Amino acid sequence: MQIDTQKDTNISAAPPKKSLSPWAIARKKFVQNKLAMISFIFLVIVGIISFLAPYITTADITRVNIADMSLEPSSKHWLGTDKSGRDVFTRLIYGGRISLLVGLSCTIFVIFIGTLIGSVAGYFGGAVDNLLMRFTDFILNFPFLVFVIVINAIFFGKVSGLWVLIAVISFLYWGGIARIVRSKILAEKENEYITAAISIGCSPAKVIVKHLLPNVLSTIIVQATITFASMIVIESALSYLGFGVPQETPSWGNMLNSANEPDVLQYKLWIWMPPALIITMTILSINFIGEGLKDAFNPKSRR
Amino acid sequence: MSANKSSLKEAPMLEVKNLETAFDIDGTFYNAVDNVSFKVKPRQIVGVVGESGCGKSVMSLSVMQLLPKGIGKIKAGEIVFDGINLEKMTEAQINKIRGKDISMIFQEPMTSLNPVFTIGYQLEEVLFNHMKISKKEARQKSIALLKSVGISRPEKIVDEYPHQLSGGMRQRVMIAIAIACQPKLLIADEPTTALDVTVQAQILELLKSIQEVNDMSVILITHDLGVVAEMCDEVIVMYAGKIVERTDVETLFYNPKHPYTTLLLGAVPKMEQEEERLSSIQGIVPSLTNMLKVGCRFANRCPKAMPECLTTTPILAETDYGHEVACLLYETSKPREGVR
Repeated sequence: MQIDTQKDTNISAAPPKKSLSPWAIARKKFVQNKLAMISFIFLVIVGIISFLAPYITTADITRVNIADMSLEPSSKHWLGTDKSGRDVFTRLIYGGRISLLVGLSCTIFVIFIGTLIGSVAGYFGGAVDNLLMRFTDFILNFPFLVFVIVINAIFFGKVSGLWVLIAVISFLYWGGIARIVRSKILAEKENEYITAAISIGCSPAKVIVKHLLPNVLSTIIVQATITFASMIVIESALSYLGFGVPQETPSWGNMLNSANEPDVLQYKLWIWMPPALIITMTILSINFIGEGLKDAFNPKSRR
Repeated sequence: MSANKSSLKEAPMLEVKNLETAFDIDGTFYNAVDNVSFKVKPRQIVGVVGESGCGKSVMSLSVMQLLPKGIGKIKAGEIVFDGINLEKMTEAQINKIRGKDISMIFQEPMTSLNPVFTIGYQLEEVLFNHMKISKKEARQKSIALLKSVGISRPEKIVDEYPHQLSGGMRQRVMIAIAIACQPKLLIADEPTTALDVTVQAQILELLKSIQEVNDMSVILITHDLGVVAEMCDEVIVMYAGKIVERTDVETLFYNPKHPYTTLLLGAVPKMEQEEERLSSIQGIVPSLTNMLKVGCRFANRCPKAMPECLTTTPILAETDYGHEVACLLYETSKPREGVR
């Protein structure tokens, strides 16, 4: 609080030294958004704990222990054990690794492919646009679930299942992003500064990367958060159905899988409740962050 | 800086020959610029005037090869700049010329600067595009450039963003970017239209002094005849994609020949006369899709139109030395036997 008032008097005494870039303004707005900041901190903590999983717990995630089957939470097993006697807490933080890894890498691939195709189509227009967008439509027309199941069946046991899953999801999911980026680029390229950039001798690649993308980046970032959230949902849903991450690897979705037994669902809450809660909260916080970013990038919002 | 304006024997800086630029409207290409030929000599300021929609901007975009992709294209003609044919160049080749030898200033200073980058960044960009220069030198050069276009506190302005600058200042920055590599030809597409009158005068003065210092040729597109009188050596009057009159600035004002030019000059409000209404030219510029195929395109708005104006297409030809007109009132514009 004290620092704040000091800052204010400084500003009124003399204009700020360095002018704020649109990015700095957005950052400031985001930091002031409490809900988004809390969500952001929560997500960072979840991320760090998952990343440091091997250092936090020493329990073996795969070892089946019949003697410890379905134990209730205790001081030894903080969140109890599952039907195979594996520690739920350990699996939860190791599961976070997989779920976040799948979510994050899918998001990166999806955003990368979508932005590339969308911006090239939008910038060049004409035949290039037509070709790329029809290809996008083609991809979007794939029945997602069927495709995932078939691909998984083909590659089962041959390649590490996790990366097959990431590749398949990424391949099928970039269409929406490509369409959004294309429409933003179409609107943005009409601006005179784009013509001005071409008129000073910038190549098409340079115009797209240095002039168009920074101006549509806010949209891309917001889309990325939404994609991230849906990727975690997709991973969980597929794993729950048994078509996602290989069964032996713990992930939040795989842990939920055990809840399809009525006995577990009704009487052994500790087995499925933690992953369910953490999925819900992670997605919620990602969505809050996305909402906060949207507000931060919107010049008209005053929060 | 030679005091005498470009001598006659000098090769033209830019020569446009029979340029035809067409736009795709519902699958058919219509000529927005139709058979336009002109020359710009070194150190000359050529004004291009005409109502909105006469093809002035399209003509300049054609020279810069900046036509919107897939919609506009150069159908025929040659654009020779400093001995090289621009219309045959690849994108990569033309990029070496754009911003270096030819540059352009746009109409709308509010949108011609990228909002996410600082002024300095945008100035440095053109320098990096065309020169081998270190980061530090580029920054110093951009400060010097800002100073040369009359911006006070350039050291501070380089780190500011476009939204912090006024329209006049932004247009100065645009000029600084355009002249950064000392181009031989500057195309100014209505550089003062979006500015208020006092700022207009300053910007024009700046353009003129820069033209003299840098020995540039300038194509100045405008619909303000006052600007033409003040700035230009030669004037091209365009109507509906065609040049209707081309002459030096004095002849244009004292002895206009084409009825369109006369009417344009008549539409300029005069100080000494008190008029209830400003005089204007009846009708509007025909749109691309319903332009007359034969005859003079101005015929249906022309007070001096004759029956033959609707059937015979006038040719742009010299009536007097250095004065070209395309109007059937003059013998020279009538098609001769054997010629279309």
